[in-house]
Amino acid sequence: MDPYSVLGLRPGASDEEVKKAYKSLAKKYHPDVAGNSPEAARKMQEINAAYDQIINHKESFSSSSYGQSSPFGYGGGYGYSSGYSSQQTQEPIELRAAVAYINARRYAEAINTLRSIPVERRSGRWYYLMAYAEAHTGDSVGAMRDIDMAISMEPGNMTYLAFRDRISGRRMQYEDWSRNYGGFSTGFFPCCFPFFPCCCII
Amino acid sequence: MFGYVLANGSSLSKEEKAVYKAHYCGLCRVLRERYGQKAMMALSYDMVFLEMVLSDLTGAEESSGTERCIPHPVKEHAYTITSCTEYAADMQMLLGYYSLLDQVHDEGKHRDAEKRMRRLLPMLEERYPRQSETIRIHLDELGRNEGAGCSDPEGMSLIFGTLLGEVFVSDDSSFFRDDLRALGCSLGRFIYLLDAWCDRKRDARTGSYNPIPAGIDAAAMREMLLDAASSASDAFERLPLDQHVFILRNILYSGIWSKFKEEKE
Repeated sequence: MDPYSVLGLRPGASDEEVKKAYKSLAKKYHPDVAGNSPEAARKMQEINAAYDQIINHKESFSSSSYGQSSPFGYGGGYGYSSGYSSQQTQEPIELRAAVAYINARRYAEAINTLRSIPVERRSGRWYYLMAYAEAHTGDSVGAMRDIDMAISMEPGNMTYLAFRDRISGRRMQYEDWSRNYGGFSTGFFPCCFPFFPCCCII
Repeated sequence: MFGYVLANGSSLSKEEKAVYKAHYCGLCRVLRERYGQKAMMALSYDMVFLEMVLSDLTGAEESSGTERCIPHPVKEHAYTITSCTEYAADMQMLLGYYSLLDQVHDEGKHRDAEKRMRRLLPMLEERYPRQSETIRIHLDELGRNEGAGCSDPEGMSLIFGTLLGEVFVSDDSSFFRDDLRALGCSLGRFIYLLDAWCDRKRDARTGSYNPIPAGIDAAAMREMLLDAASSASDAFERLPLDQHVFILRNILYSGIWSKFKEEKE
């Protein structure tokens, strides 16, 4: 089903509209409001999946060729349908647990599982999974280091290259936004707002 | 805590400033109500940011009022409180206690305050076992690395980030827990790095520990901070925030840099 219609929007609605729609629906089906009905819970799952698909798809790698088929591309979301089963058969057994953790968005556990694999058995795929999990826990430094390692082990792998583009693209996006919000070069108050209580109490 | 995560007032409108200030005063009020007048010493902008993110995310009901307080006894001012304010206040105390403990160990200062706050600890640890355990484990790790003279600012900042990431997750069953954790972690990295940068001259003078090696200049520091900030924004933009998003973006994309600039000049 089209994720936009799940949220009651026309296709291609802006991220801000998606967020607003998600929030009002999430409120409506929240257990505190709707009670513990299975119907509301199912609806909530649908809304969550739709939100995830739209918001995460937007920042997916621009080319769709691998976005959909890669189990970790944002295109498929973490609840993957397409492409996942075929990937799983090829996934080395020792990486499957990590993949399962990533699919369940349990990144800290994924990292621990990956770390338990000895250095000499770490493949390009291992470094990619590690980079992916690190990027999602906020460790962008580790993510960059490990995706570079993955690329050096398998230079032609498009998925790795695209993932590297995605994490390095964050910075440009940040600097763009930053310019719209007063930047970080000018216009600060010397300490904090003159009328704020902070200076006198902290 | 550190107070680096604050807004850039010069690009906020008058109304936005008023909203931001009211959330600040709301957190201050809850701290005073729950922990007594002295607790407002622990108040920081970092937790105001957390409160506003969580309130917006959960669509928490806001209640507002006006008050006079000890720092501002004459002028009546507005405050805003939501169901997330209490959480932010408790996290402020938890973090405040551990950083105080750190100072007691390092410099032998604030012994009385530490004793006073220690009494609150069992209650907070019982109520927030996940957060307190993570804070304790990671502060211990930071302490051990400091003792060993670790000069890896990125590695150290990640330890602090992991700790703050856990604090950002008020509800571990939330659909957005990972994004909150990543946001907290990245901001924690930013805060740790900036704090180390701001303290480096004083630390060199007093012979105190500082993770930043001599070769790192302002440009290299800016790169590290930018990386942490970009990572924070990536997580932030996935959250369905709409209520205070302009103020929060102002903080994330501009305000958090204010102390870095000051320091450079």
